[in-house]
Amino acid sequence: MKGTLKVEAKSPEATIRGLFARWLKEGKLSAILSPAYSAAGTATLALFSNPQKLDEAAPLLPAMGVNAASIVAEFARDASPNAKVGLFLRPCELRAVVELIKLKQVAPDSLVLIGADCAGTYKAAGFRNVRGKDADFDNKHVREQSGYAENVNFRVACQMCEYPKPLVFDLNVGFIGMDADTELWVEAATDKGKGLVEGLELSAQDEPDKRKKALEGLSAARKATTAKRIEELDKAMMGPEKLVEYFSDCLNCHNCMKVCPVCYCRECFFDSDTFQRDIGEHVRVSLRKGATRMPSETLLFHLTRMNHMMASCVQCGICEDSCPVTIGLATLFKKVSQNAQKEFEYVSGRSLDEPLPLATFRESEFTKVGEE
Amino acid sequence: MDESPVTEAVATDSTAGAFEPKIVAFLCNWCSYAGADLAGISRIQYPPSIRVIRVPCSGRVDPFFILKALQNGADGVLVSGCHPGDCHYLTGNYVARRRFAVLNDLLEFAGIDPGRVSFSWVSAAEGERFAEVVRDVTEKVRQLGPNKKLLKEEVA
Repeated sequence: MKGTLKVEAKSPEATIRGLFARWLKEGKLSAILSPAYSAAGTATLALFSNPQKLDEAAPLLPAMGVNAASIVAEFARDASPNAKVGLFLRPCELRAVVELIKLKQVAPDSLVLIGADCAGTYKAAGFRNVRGKDADFDNKHVREQSGYAENVNFRVACQMCEYPKPLVFDLNVGFIGMDADTELWVEAATDKGKGLVEGLELSAQDEPDKRKKALEGLSAARKATTAKRIEELDKAMMGPEKLVEYFSDCLNCHNCMKVCPVCYCRECFFDSDTFQRDIGEHVRVSLRKGATRMPSETLLFHLTRMNHMMASCVQCGICEDSCPVTIGLATLFKKVSQNAQKEFEYVSGRSLDEPLPLATFRESEFTKVGEE
Repeated sequence: MDESPVTEAVATDSTAGAFEPKIVAFLCNWCSYAGADLAGISRIQYPPSIRVIRVPCSGRVDPFFILKALQNGADGVLVSGCHPGDCHYLTGNYVARRRFAVLNDLLEFAGIDPGRVSFSWVSAAEGERFAEVVRDVTEKVRQLGPNKKLLKEEVA
């Protein structure tokens, strides 16, 4: 079921808030997780259940501080028969939710995946200053981004993102390629989604060509940016010692691991006792080379993380945002995970049915391994 | 615990004199380990370069083990399991193969010559093949020289 939805008072955001209110009042959803502004004007998320409180919801808020999938993994590990929670999230967040469902970290039964187009976001840190006192900032952003407008102030990962529309969703609300002041594109892909659009006044039609073209154009532009950035990265990484150099500022704080939505272990191996060494062992290691870098396991940590994450990485780049010494993790992970996923003909978060690459195999593949 | 004070490197520097590579070999219990055993009891000669670690299945070998071995000073790593289709646990080596296929990319990315890490399939009946694999791997690593990469990060 799909069609255009009329925008009220030139405010796509208020229109979506209206949908929220309707779903909560009608009891179709018991709560909705949505981006929201804090009292201080910073970007955050909130779980809304009272329609009266929806003024604080900012579904199209263009700033990202966490990947909301991490939060979903906190509260939706198990399904509940009484709760039906709508997740109003960005495409990269929904892709991460899909990966987490496949990794058995999130139970999908109580959740409805409601997506929205996303043409790019600002870093949550400092976003308050970007927005200033502009109460209409989100709508202006949508208006500007409904046609593709390159913005170098977006997060690095967003500048490389080729998925402005969610890949898996029950219901999606789109603005790219639409005249966002007057109409939004609403698309229900599953029965859950159809349940939500029932009773809405959609003028039914096929997806407008203008929208299709805009989405394709945006993807193509982003792919070009990605290629350019990876080329720059490759140039900077020429030579074997460069990876050490790339990570040489690393403080070993493990923030990149903590904020990663798909890095799901309850306790990281690298935080475990395995790496608690006594002084004698450290000295023994140092004697081999005369001097060793402390903290000692940074490169091994990053290599192992890359190895663990590359199959499921959704390239949201939140790792880079959380890095206190601004190591260029977004581009690095983009490159590494794209390569690995290409090898497995897999795209993280593309489908709930595709098995995780490292949990499956085909007998006829990679026959060269072990035979040279 | 060793009570004596640590004053010199336990591992001797492999660059001194003629270079004999040190290779850590992860062998699966059911095929390759038995193959190595057969090579031994058949008195087949192969270079004494490998240090064998027995694992239940090649699927048990986490890429982390490989990285860690290289970081701790191994010049090369050999992982050997049952032939595809012959896994004692039916599919362990297929899963391992997927993992190794992408590990090569990562090694190259980290500046480690993929030649340092070898994978092979050796059955319990292939004592001669096991010796051959060890000869090949040893020669390949010898050509590459001592492993200086990843051997703990240097300060500089």
